[in-house]
Amino acid sequence: MVLRCSACGYYLHPPEPACPRCLGDALEPTAVSGRGTLFSFTVARQAFDVAFLDHLPYVLALIELVEQPGLRILTNIVDDPPDALEVGAPVEVTFEARGGWSIPQFRLARDGTR
Amino acid sequence: MSALSRDVAVAGVGYSPITRTGRPDVRELTLLACRAALDDAGLAPNDVDAIAEYQFGQGDAPTAVGAQRLLGIDNLHMFNDLMGTGPSGLASALDATMAVASGVCETALVYRCITRDAGHTGALRAGPSSAGGALQFTAPYGLGGGIIHTMGMRKRRRLAELGGSPEDYGQVALNARRWGLLNDRAVLREPLTMEEYLGSRMVSDPLVLLDCDYPVNGACAAVVTTAERAADLRQPVVVVDAMAYGTGRNADWLYGEDLLFGGTRPCAERLWSMASVGPGDVDVAELYDGFTHITISWVEALGFCGIGEFGDWVDDGRRIGPGGPLPLNTHGGQLSEGRLHGLGFLTEAVLQLRGGEGARQVEGAEVAVVANAHGPQCGAMVLTRG
Repeated sequence: MVLRCSACGYYLHPPEPACPRCLGDALEPTAVSGRGTLFSFTVARQAFDVAFLDHLPYVLALIELVEQPGLRILTNIVDDPPDALEVGAPVEVTFEARGGWSIPQFRLARDGTR
Repeated sequence: MSALSRDVAVAGVGYSPITRTGRPDVRELTLLACRAALDDAGLAPNDVDAIAEYQFGQGDAPTAVGAQRLLGIDNLHMFNDLMGTGPSGLASALDATMAVASGVCETALVYRCITRDAGHTGALRAGPSSAGGALQFTAPYGLGGGIIHTMGMRKRRRLAELGGSPEDYGQVALNARRWGLLNDRAVLREPLTMEEYLGSRMVSDPLVLLDCDYPVNGACAAVVTTAERAADLRQPVVVVDAMAYGTGRNADWLYGEDLLFGGTRPCAERLWSMASVGPGDVDVAELYDGFTHITISWVEALGFCGIGEFGDWVDDGRRIGPGGPLPLNTHGGQLSEGRLHGLGFLTEAVLQLRGGEGARQVEGAEVAVVANAHGPQCGAMVLTRG
């Protein structure tokens, strides 16, 4: 789900109280396809937060969702090794259960399309 | 007459000692830098009627009125504490320039004091166990270390979108050491080879350790006053020809529309639109190097070469090194001198335009450009010899 302006259809992430394009304040969480492209990524080799020490190395990525140019979200890339990744690759959402929550994560698109 | 309503000059610069260890008192560091800057200008504390400073708000620097008390200044006509979302330490000088130009005050003292505790964003910390607001969209994924991970992503995206090589980034790091060797203040003064750069520890792949500046304890300060006043003071006059800010659309370190350049391009465009000179007139460039990516962005944004052309333009470092046609970061930048967090680029530009910097003096330098930060918090200045 990504917040979307009911008036002009603009998606915004992270959420804000109003739409930065039309200033409308009727915003609705809206289902998106979970598909996008790998805008960029980095492989964290050093932890800055002790909670992530045991997870090194891990991939941080910016995904541009297909719904709107420039609509980017931060994620990890899971299920695929860093060597398999390249900028521009199609990706798809997958969900990770963590501490009673389900958080969106991404992996390379399994059908190879966008 | 510059683009400002009255001509403004930087009349004094000063530094505290810069150290790699210990936990010095930030009041002591600030006092040493401010006193040195006033001495340099030939002024006494009560000649100052304004103070602007930039800090993270983590105990890394005294407030403006804290510095006023340290220096025993009777009253201030302007004071401003600029917090960590502006154009780094240069923010204090940008602010003071506007205040002096407006007539609100006559002589402003500006400083950036920083400690390793506050400046070392690569330190291991305990993060939050839960997160709300925008943090809930980054913390669970392990985004941390200030903007370090975003710089890894910028470097990756640049290499994919614009081409070039990791060696292009390395040229910024090697250049810093070449110049730093000529600067007694610089803390990292060992020569650096490309092999050593490329082999340095991977932090946020493809970002390596030597893409990152070096945290230090230290302060630097400058005195900003009218050009008219400066003419009667101790040093050759260095005038602020133009200044500008820039943020870019959807301004944010992570989600900003132009991830590669942030606000550097709109800032540079605005700067040149206001300046009496252009990029071809610049004799020396002092461009932020908190990360090597930032320096490359500014070189291209300021029009010294085309977008994506840095690698060819830099000519294996000859372009920007001692004796090169565009001397860059002539104090060694923060990669060599240490992370004084932005204001050191201004003070070095002032020293170069005065002349007399010994082995690292750029012969006949008359025009300098100074730029700070990246992402949503860019600022820049053109300085000329008066």
